[in-house]
Amino acid sequence: MRIVQYRQGTQKLWAPGAGGFHGGVMRRVTGALTVAILSAAATLLGACHRSSSTQSTSPIAEGPLPAGNHALPPAAAAPADDGNWVMPGKNYAATRFSALSQITPANVSKLALAFTFSTATNKGFEAPPLVVNGTMYVITPYPNYLYALDLTKPGAPTKWTFKPKPAAASQGVACCDVVNRGAVYDNGKIFFNTLDGQTFAVDANSGQMAWHTQLGDIQRGETITMAPLVANGKVLVGNSGGEMGVRGWIAALDEGSGKVAWKAYNTGPDKDVLIGARFKPFYPMDQGKDLGVKSWPPDAWKIGGATTWGWLAYDPETHLVFYGTSNPGPWNADQRPGDNKWSAGLFARDVNTGEAVWHYQTTPHDLFDYDDVNEIILADIPWGSGRRPVLLRPDRNGYFYVMDRRTGQVLSATPYGYINSTKGVDLKSGRLIYVADKEPKAGRVTRDICPASPGAKDWNPAAFSPVTGLVYIPHNNLCMDFSGVQANYISGTPYVGADVKMYAGPGGNRGVFTAWDPVNRRPVWEIKEDLPLWSPALATAGNLVFYGTMDGWFKAVDARNGKLLWQFKAGSGIIGQPISYRGPDGRQYIAVVAGVGGWAGAIVSAQMDPHDPTGALGFANAVKDLPMKTTAGGILYVFTVPR
Amino acid sequence: MRLSARPLAAVLPLLLAACQYQHYQSDFGKGAVEDTQFLTLFTIFIVVCAVMYLLVIGFLFAAILRRGRIEANVVESGRHHESHPLMQSTLIGWAALIGVGLAALAVASFVTDRSMAKAATNEKLSITLTGNQWWWDIVYNSADASKTLRTANELHLPLGVPTRIILKSNDVIHSFWVPSLAGKQDLIPGRENDITIVPKRTGIYRGQCAEYCGTQHAHMSLVVVVDSYPDFIKWWGHQLQPAPAPASPLALAGFKYVTSGPCSSCHNIGGTQASGQVAPDLTHLASRKSIAAGTLPMSEGNLYGWVEDPQSLKPGVKMPTIGLPPDRLHAVVAYLETLK
Amino acid sequence: MSSRSRVSLLVLGAAALALAACNREEHHSRAKPIGETVPAGESPDTIFPGSSTAPPLDPRAALYDNNANAISQGQQLFLQMNCVGCHSHGGGGMGPPLMDDEWRYGGRIDQIATTIAEGRPNGMPSWRGKLTEDQIWDLAAYVRSLSGLPSKDAVASRSESMSAGTPQTLTPHAEMNNSDAVPQ
Repeated sequence: MRIVQYRQGTQKLWAPGAGGFHGGVMRRVTGALTVAILSAAATLLGACHRSSSTQSTSPIAEGPLPAGNHALPPAAAAPADDGNWVMPGKNYAATRFSALSQITPANVSKLALAFTFSTATNKGFEAPPLVVNGTMYVITPYPNYLYALDLTKPGAPTKWTFKPKPAAASQGVACCDVVNRGAVYDNGKIFFNTLDGQTFAVDANSGQMAWHTQLGDIQRGETITMAPLVANGKVLVGNSGGEMGVRGWIAALDEGSGKVAWKAYNTGPDKDVLIGARFKPFYPMDQGKDLGVKSWPPDAWKIGGATTWGWLAYDPETHLVFYGTSNPGPWNADQRPGDNKWSAGLFARDVNTGEAVWHYQTTPHDLFDYDDVNEIILADIPWGSGRRPVLLRPDRNGYFYVMDRRTGQVLSATPYGYINSTKGVDLKSGRLIYVADKEPKAGRVTRDICPASPGAKDWNPAAFSPVTGLVYIPHNNLCMDFSGVQANYISGTPYVGADVKMYAGPGGNRGVFTAWDPVNRRPVWEIKEDLPLWSPALATAGNLVFYGTMDGWFKAVDARNGKLLWQFKAGSGIIGQPISYRGPDGRQYIAVVAGVGGWAGAIVSAQMDPHDPTGALGFANAVKDLPMKTTAGGILYVFTVPR
Repeated sequence: MRLSARPLAAVLPLLLAACQYQHYQSDFGKGAVEDTQFLTLFTIFIVVCAVMYLLVIGFLFAAILRRGRIEANVVESGRHHESHPLMQSTLIGWAALIGVGLAALAVASFVTDRSMAKAATNEKLSITLTGNQWWWDIVYNSADASKTLRTANELHLPLGVPTRIILKSNDVIHSFWVPSLAGKQDLIPGRENDITIVPKRTGIYRGQCAEYCGTQHAHMSLVVVVDSYPDFIKWWGHQLQPAPAPASPLALAGFKYVTSGPCSSCHNIGGTQASGQVAPDLTHLASRKSIAAGTLPMSEGNLYGWVEDPQSLKPGVKMPTIGLPPDRLHAVVAYLETLK
Repeated sequence: MSSRSRVSLLVLGAAALALAACNREEHHSRAKPIGETVPAGESPDTIFPGSSTAPPLDPRAALYDNNANAISQGQQLFLQMNCVGCHSHGGGGMGPPLMDDEWRYGGRIDQIATTIAEGRPNGMPSWRGKLTEDQIWDLAAYVRSLSGLPSKDAVASRSESMSAGTPQTLTPHAEMNNSDAVPQ
């Protein structure tokens, strides 16, 4: 594991808190000596935790903390921490930050297992466990079992298990492993989606089903893998299937009854997309009538993708729900000339009526499967003399977007990974500018496109710490070869039209963990990882950041400088959200479920053959070595610092 | 030598018969600007080569006639090694003539090529023609994406408008050749070629795949219709309409089968749930003049035959013989005929 | 012409005629293969209570199994019918890999044809009514070729996808060692 430090001007803080660098030879010598001693210690410590051969220690120096005036989540969307974890993003602002600070860099080396639990599944595990007042809820990938564990008793025995029994055939139309990204707790009920397109509400105490609603149709290739968002009495659910020629939508169900309150499509005529008088997109390219039809060849929008399989965020002050849409279908862009609205873009809708308030199309006429479904973090950042309400988005296309959440204006779009497929975002028109050489052509292979289709970062969300003001981004460093072929549409089968082969990007490391300063728009420190990072991040007020690697190492690093402080080898690779909660005994716990899979880990969870480099839409080639490094599983690990 | 009258009499009607195809599929047709340019070049080549040919024949005959006399002289006088001054100047003149002739051909060729290439930068309409075994996939490109038109096997061109046809292939090498309008240009998989045509005369022309591409290469022809510009725009607008809804119960039964059965795995019919992309677009099938890339003229009987057993009409074609029972066949053809 | 050269010419001519009559394989594009109207056979990978032997191989297997035309038609159908979307070029993804020697539902050509026609419980779609029997058997022949099972002169010697390595059809693979030991 190599840590790279970035300097900010001449401001440096030295380890024993000297407070500033005032020049003078003696100070420099002392400082250098401190560094030397620290680095020697780090090297020795690093030797104790040797894991992968590509990891190497390097001199540690305290990174600069952003100056006090830094980004903070809005109070309404990020209320005070009660020690529970009720939704995958922790709160509506999607900070994935725990205010608990019992576990710190000083004692994290003593972190040990409190208990474990086998979920009896062995597919990719992307969901976090939820904790509500002494009960832990675990939702698994297909077959989507929901377990309730009693944290008040030793060993956390099961209180009840709910089995929704989704249709087995839905496994055949799920593009990227049969994952589930999480359940949500609200008002005494647990809400979650099943692979075959149903939404369930289960009583959190008894485990009895309150209601369920069938929303998706597997005959059309639709599944649901996303975690719902519950806000203002509505359960917001969206479909998956951008690779299956599905027409994307988002629906709001009434929290009490499960009836559909409103449903908005993401392609097609304005009346289907719920675009009306309130719709005020910021940029001219998104303004016009029925663009969801006009920017496609005839009928192509009906099978055009733009699904809602990723993350939603909510601003309680404006009652706006934000979400991104997936890639347009098929991947072969020759078959769909036009901007392909409203795919690969960000919507802001009124949570009560579903009316679209604004839209920004991040990647018009997407060429590389740069879905726009990544997490959306609400923050207020210093701007001019005051503060500005923004959205922070580390996007698939490799740019870290800072956008005004009232209007959809892009304030900045800065690369956080290596990009050669696009030149940048023109802030005046809002358009992403493509590099003509990298445009895929049917029948030919276009090589060395960076970032690859999973993007600089895929669905796995970053965490945002209000203490450090940094966004902690676990992401990829992958490039690809892409060849377009004609795609045929047959409902219920894939509608892709591309042969892809992925491999490591510049540097040879396939994963990166970046601590990003959203105000100054630069990385503060980075950790290079051998395998792509497909796990979400957790940040705590104890100045720790947790994430997992695809070969099963669950790591705790110092939030200020990225120094590895603790790691644990789990039974399977980790792609699930780690959480932190306060147990009934008042102690802070860290929990994560290890179960490799998802798009990146399909080579293990789907037992693929690595001889075909185009397997799993090209990912098989990038992680050919993964089956040697981990095996499938689904085990919950809960850690704490023993007394 | 006496020229026998009989073979001539046999050949003459054939020659005359060829004249009737002067505008349909003829290298000597004057359907397009490019064709005129090509025709000029062709004429220059014929003239120059004919002149040279006649000269060569003339000298050959002269040599044969003179041979008898010279041979005797040479054997007697032993002077066959001396060069004849007239022979020398004739040979020099001949070499010069060849040089001039070749230069003229090169210049003519270059000039024609340049002017044809210049037309390519002037295009007002862009069409993407993708060759498949053994049919043509045609997409009319438009700046407004929702006006993009996809049809198959019948190319419509507007009169007088420079049209650039981008040529691609999905499988093997084909070749686009409409003799009355333009020369040949290959469709090579993995590569985009193009050809620019400015049609000068309305009418119906016939094109043919000109590169062997498999079993049914002979049946891969292309009907090209040149309309006046307003007619072309009207045709485009009509073709963009989704397929009309079936009217009669028989057509409805056919509609249900076509849009949910094996036909929908490969074919697209706009406005219905049949959205297959790997076979010719059928949205306005009945408005075309031929079936199966010029294999059969469009008619009810031919539709019956084609739908029932394409393998007997075009053996090896990718469309399978399903073997529909008679009722279903009636329904399917009834529906297909409504796709005007 | 001398009599000896005349004789040898005759012999050559006769040999040429005889060889020309040899067909390497049948291309049945026009004729319906036998059993066109008979449903695809049941999978032998089942228990047949009361009997001690598995049913015999479907007679269509001989027509398709090592037939180069069937394999190449099957290859085109594999791409067009989106099999490649789930199974990639044999490596798997949404569906299990087809290029290894593990067969969930049997690797004999008639078992594969049944899988394609009937679908399977964990997500394999059923193609009965969407493809003709001929097309289904062509696909089954191609799927077998992804595991290197048919003879080398029947399979494509060049991969149609972007990989520059040895095509799957020519990569040697381990012998099938599951219950489908019926010799083909």
